[in-house]
Amino acid sequence: MLKSHLKLAFKVLGRRPFFTFLSLVGITLTLLVLTVVAAVFDHAFARHAPEVRQDRTLLVFFLELRGERASSSGWPGYLFLDRHARGLPGVERFSASTQIESAFSYSGTDRVRSFLKRTDVEFWRIMAFDFVEGGPYTEEDVEAARAVAVINVSTRDRFFGTGAAAGKTLELGGTRYQVVGVVRDVPFLRLVPFADVWVPLTTARSDGWKRDLRGGFMGVLLAGSRADFPRIQSEFRSRMATVDLAGTEFKTARAEAEPLFATFARILLRTGPNQGGFVAKLSLILGGLAFAFMVLPTLNLVNLSVSRALERASEIGVRRAFGASRAELVGQFVLENVTLTLMGGLGALVATEVALRALNASGLIPYADLHLNLRIFGWGLLFALAFGVVSGAWPAWRLSRLHPVEALRGGTR
Amino acid sequence: MQTVGTATATPTPAGVNGGAAIRLEGVEKVYRTDRIETVALSDVNLEVGEGEWVAIMGPSGCGKSTLLNLMGLLDVPSKGTLSFSGREVTGLGDRERSRYRNREIGFVFQTFHLIPELSVLDNVEIPLLYRRVSSAERKTLALAALDRVGLQSRVHHYPSQLSGGQQQRVAIARAIVGRPRLLLADEPTGNLDSQMGEDIMAIIEGLNRDDRTTVVMVTHDARLAARAHRTLRIFDGRQVQ
Repeated sequence: MLKSHLKLAFKVLGRRPFFTFLSLVGITLTLLVLTVVAAVFDHAFARHAPEVRQDRTLLVFFLELRGERASSSGWPGYLFLDRHARGLPGVERFSASTQIESAFSYSGTDRVRSFLKRTDVEFWRIMAFDFVEGGPYTEEDVEAARAVAVINVSTRDRFFGTGAAAGKTLELGGTRYQVVGVVRDVPFLRLVPFADVWVPLTTARSDGWKRDLRGGFMGVLLAGSRADFPRIQSEFRSRMATVDLAGTEFKTARAEAEPLFATFARILLRTGPNQGGFVAKLSLILGGLAFAFMVLPTLNLVNLSVSRALERASEIGVRRAFGASRAELVGQFVLENVTLTLMGGLGALVATEVALRALNASGLIPYADLHLNLRIFGWGLLFALAFGVVSGAWPAWRLSRLHPVEALRGGTR
Repeated sequence: MQTVGTATATPTPAGVNGGAAIRLEGVEKVYRTDRIETVALSDVNLEVGEGEWVAIMGPSGCGKSTLLNLMGLLDVPSKGTLSFSGREVTGLGDRERSRYRNREIGFVFQTFHLIPELSVLDNVEIPLLYRRVSSAERKTLALAALDRVGLQSRVHHYPSQLSGGQQQRVAIARAIVGRPRLLLADEPTGNLDSQMGEDIMAIIEGLNRDDRTTVVMVTHDARLAARAHRTLRIFDGRQVQ
């Protein structure tokens, strides 16, 4: 039956080539936008190098301090992370690193900006960077506050051409660093590992950062397994009561250890610690936006489907007469619509690859390396399928309600 | 058709094989709109025996096709009961009615109602699609049905490539491919010239005679009706003979 319905679906689509073409263009454009957005999200949040252990990683990106008259919230400081996020049960590795900062170099009269990130050694053990030269700095480098750096390939090319950079020096923000390793570029959208240059935490000009509860740091916790998350999160939350706020105007400290997408959702929705439901809320908002984006093309497709199908009233009557139930007719018409949207979906996937390459080349997202992968392909097909079912269900239901006798007369009772 | 009214008619004799293929008791069909109530059929009592061939005659709009649609479970009576081989089917739900139509009834329409995008073979296979018959078996059965109506050489043609008579023969092949016990034909020769009409009648005659298929045929043509075992006359929604 499926084969027969598919055969008919293609023949019906061929009956009005111009309308079919218009429908396909609408579907392809809609799915193209959705798939590109999905690809950008995948690029930012899915498990990609160097965050290959992301599925068991928790992040501490946010600390809120509250007093009677004052409050302070934002990035946590090193002191807070060191005292309260380190050594949690169930955590295999812990790393504290800074947010990226701009560091400038001068080449003649040109000022070159690089994004610099200060990290500990554990950072390199949690992340799986792809080294093309050398390796990361060592425990001794960090302890001795040696001015060593790992740079990305683009920075190497900018400062040293395409030749080897390991062992050479690079001046950044008034400090001369010796390059110990070169890694492949990390996309800008990867919040945790992204930088042009990574240097030891201890190379900061002053050690004031060691005494701050709040400011400029992020904590990365690598759990033994995902199953350890609740235990780690609960213990971390309970440690908030032990934050020493003596001598400050604050009474309470609140922070959360969460996976990347939850962290992003909390920041985007400006949700304070201890408040839940924000991941579902953001997922709902994103789903709603995708749906809203599909509404107009869906209505268009619904109209085309209905007018196309009403021409087939007699066929509906015949099928009803020879034993098709309403449910079988709904199935047939939804299948025809899904066939159309899947064709549009395949077109959209080809167009998506072209658009992603153009996006990579445009430099709009630094170091973007957007490509179609199986996940994106899956998302694209899912969008097409959802589009097909949503836009096909109503016309199919309406057509299945046609009275067989009237349908045989070509009418619409 | 008439506006509200009733009439009583006498039940007909049993069929040539003894049992009743279809029985209608006190059947009424009323079409209602906001303002008007139109009685299409009133108090019809009818029995068609297994293997019987009944012709239904009457002027245009008298309710012949409505009666055929009720017998074909394409429509539901407003009142009365309808039974097939002793089983009442009046209150069946959509799925059950569909299954009944699929297994027990074959339709032949005046305007053929072939699906233009499908080949002759695919058109004939349609009833079998809803029986979950395998592709190979569908093909075998459809070819046999087409052979029966003398069209095996046209299986890959499309309806638009056939004459009216050939199209009606395809429609008959479609109606009989599932070996239904009841064939309902609504003016099957109405759109054909006399020679083609004769060919179609010969096929219907053969189905009734050789397969003992019960046939109910609506016609305007008294000569065609005379070939049936008996003729039922309808006037203004009432059974008059």
